[in-house]
Amino acid sequence: MFKYHVKLALKSMRRNPIMTTLMVAAIAVGIGVSMTTLTIYYLMSGNPIPAKSDVLFAVTMDSWDPLRPFDDDFPERAPHQVTYHDAERLLSLAKGKRQVAMFESSLIVEPAGNGVLPFEASARVASSDFFPMFDVPFAYGSGWDTAADAAAEPVVVLTKALNERLFGGTDSVGSRLTLSGIRFQIVGVIDTWEPTPRFYDPIESGFEEVNDMFIPYSLTRAMELQSSGSDWGWKAEDINSFEQWLNSESVWIQYFVELDSPGDADKYLAHLDAYVNDQKRLGRFERPLNNNIYDVMEWMEYHEVVATDTRVLVGLSFMFLIVCLISTIALLLTKFVGKKAEISLRRALGASRQVIFNQQIVEVAVIGFSGGLIGLLLSVFGLQGIKFLYESPPGLARLDWVMTFTAIGIAVTSGVIAGLYPAWRVCQIPPAAQLKAQ
Amino acid sequence: MGFRPMISSLLRSKTGPILVALQIAVTLAIVVNALFIVVQRSEKMNRDPGIDVDNVIVTYVRGFGEDFDVVNSITNDLDLIKSIPGVVTASVLNQVPLSGSGSGTGLRTVPDETIDSVNTARYRWDENGLDALGVRLSRGRNFLPAEVDVVKPTIDSGVPASVLVTQALADDLYGDEDALGQTVYWGDMTQSTIVGIIDHMHGSWVDWSKFNNSVIQPGIEADTTNKYVTRVEPGMRDELMPIIEQKLGESNRSRVIKSVRSLEEIAARSYRPDFAMVTILSIVMALLIGLTALVIVGLASFHVTQRTKQIGTRRALGATRMHIVIQFMLENWLITTAGAALGAILTFGVAYWLEVSYSLTRLDWRYLPAGIAALWILSSLAAMAPARRAASVPPAVATRSV
Repeated sequence: MFKYHVKLALKSMRRNPIMTTLMVAAIAVGIGVSMTTLTIYYLMSGNPIPAKSDVLFAVTMDSWDPLRPFDDDFPERAPHQVTYHDAERLLSLAKGKRQVAMFESSLIVEPAGNGVLPFEASARVASSDFFPMFDVPFAYGSGWDTAADAAAEPVVVLTKALNERLFGGTDSVGSRLTLSGIRFQIVGVIDTWEPTPRFYDPIESGFEEVNDMFIPYSLTRAMELQSSGSDWGWKAEDINSFEQWLNSESVWIQYFVELDSPGDADKYLAHLDAYVNDQKRLGRFERPLNNNIYDVMEWMEYHEVVATDTRVLVGLSFMFLIVCLISTIALLLTKFVGKKAEISLRRALGASRQVIFNQQIVEVAVIGFSGGLIGLLLSVFGLQGIKFLYESPPGLARLDWVMTFTAIGIAVTSGVIAGLYPAWRVCQIPPAAQLKAQ
Repeated sequence: MGFRPMISSLLRSKTGPILVALQIAVTLAIVVNALFIVVQRSEKMNRDPGIDVDNVIVTYVRGFGEDFDVVNSITNDLDLIKSIPGVVTASVLNQVPLSGSGSGTGLRTVPDETIDSVNTARYRWDENGLDALGVRLSRGRNFLPAEVDVVKPTIDSGVPASVLVTQALADDLYGDEDALGQTVYWGDMTQSTIVGIIDHMHGSWVDWSKFNNSVIQPGIEADTTNKYVTRVEPGMRDELMPIIEQKLGESNRSRVIKSVRSLEEIAARSYRPDFAMVTILSIVMALLIGLTALVIVGLASFHVTQRTKQIGTRRALGATRMHIVIQFMLENWLITTAGAALGAILTFGVAYWLEVSYSLTRLDWRYLPAGIAALWILSSLAAMAPARRAASVPPAVATRSV
């Protein structure tokens, strides 16, 4: 029976090619536009590290100006980064399961061999827990250990892309590499890793690419590494040396902690409060006690990684989908009215209302399905377009299985919803009534 | 001829017209709000930057190695760039306007920490900076060569005696008072005198509400990465960019030329989200309008076919072709107007949602009547062909197959 329904549906669709094209096009365009924006939204708002997002926390402490809050728009918030010396002390206290202090910098890579020009590459300067904390996958080797942290050893972990560029993708662990005049030893090469959003540093934007390489945080002092991210200051301080800069009240270090369970948050906060109270005795942290930790998803919300524009576009494009559905209903109604004679005849020949109804629904589902498929194709183009428009990193404009099935699901469902009323109307056509007029 | 027959015929098969009206309503709500956003973003992108954006080249270089002398390198590089024919002048800036990255500070007119400071972008450049950007000084004077010192970023070199400010910053600081010659106080309460006022110049961050606020200190910032700003003769930019890159590359091997870009490209990058929004919304609007027009044509044609007999009868009873055209056009107009009325409410609903949830600018109400007028024209054009076809139904049709 189902096959017969499909056959009739195709036949009926062929009879009114313009009408059918218009209906399929309406659904396809509606799905194409709304799936494009929804995919972007889904990827932006996705959980980049689902297994651990509730045990990884960004740490904030209010060391800001006693006279005014860090952010006038959110006066309850502490600065989103911490000072260098606070980060150093928290690291040495090590009250979490793991902890990392980090910032972004850039170094000059001086490749061995003549004829290869030196170039600048970005580096994440981080303590050793970075790799196990954030589940970084390795192609070769591994991260460095705490001993390397303590001794400020010149070791480096490369990304797959930089290893490709420098060593043609071969196992480079153990090789030497000159970075800003210092000989580094390569200890690891990470595998493809595209956390989207880049949760461990969403400050500039949530969708920056992973830095080209990673080096120990403890090298900051020795190499006088400067942050290429943002730094914020409030206090007028005389800074005449790098050491004075490190001891200043400027906030420019990102600090994350991993706890054993989400329930340990209070215990960790108590530790932060104790630390800050100690500092208050030294005359620092003059603002009221205001320490906070944010798990990964809270941190994404804090930095509004999903752009307002994206939310607006999702809203508008779903209204657009509604317009497409209304069009489809109107067109279907029109078409069914034209089929009155045929339905009358089938009813007169013994087809029940149920059969007629099923028949119409199958026809509508076929239209919905083809519209959905074409729409899916359109959204692939749409995503390419968005990638071009925003020059976004690779993780942000791809269609995965979830979104593919969502698209087809939305297409068929909306096709059927659009078809229900017209189908019901068609069933109401009495048998033979139309035949009289012939 | 009155509306009665039309209304009664509309009421007889009401689902179709209701759906079209509904579609028109939602279309209106989307198009009016989207158009408003598009116009706003376009205006934002087309603001006058006060800088000769088209003729400015920005070069980012970074030195490395033990022997690298940043101050020498800057002096030599600037001399080299200035010697290239077609170059007007060059300067080294601590930050590049319109680039999205920069440094900011707060200024006060009195040395009192408890008073909120006025936020502004902070620049540092030498006596050629103004000319290199093509920025106009409206009053006062430029920096004197003697005022220009070399400054290292982590070393506090003291605050310069003279600064330039933009008119917008002068207004924020002094209101109606004349800012020229006045004293401003920095965060550490050291002071500088305003020696010149820039009529208008955009700062670093295109989304910042204080985009027009800039203060300029005299100096050459010897940073890790040096940013050379070069202004060239009109039309020479694309030709000179590779020449600058090549000459700088050859002159000193202990420097990495990070990039040579036009300021136009740098600015376009900063405005990329706005450009993307304008493009996406324009495509959506075009698709939406096209679809709605097609549906109006489709349904109007269907109604004509369905009512062939009725039209024939009216024609047989003496209605002229004109009467028939008017009937269908008016019918269509009624549906459009009903849709527009519902759409007006929906439009403000959507505008309210955008304003409250996403703090977008409040919709300018004048977009609504403009949108409705456009809809009327669009739907009349769409209904024209079916109405003409209706008028061509001959009176004799009425007598057939009764």
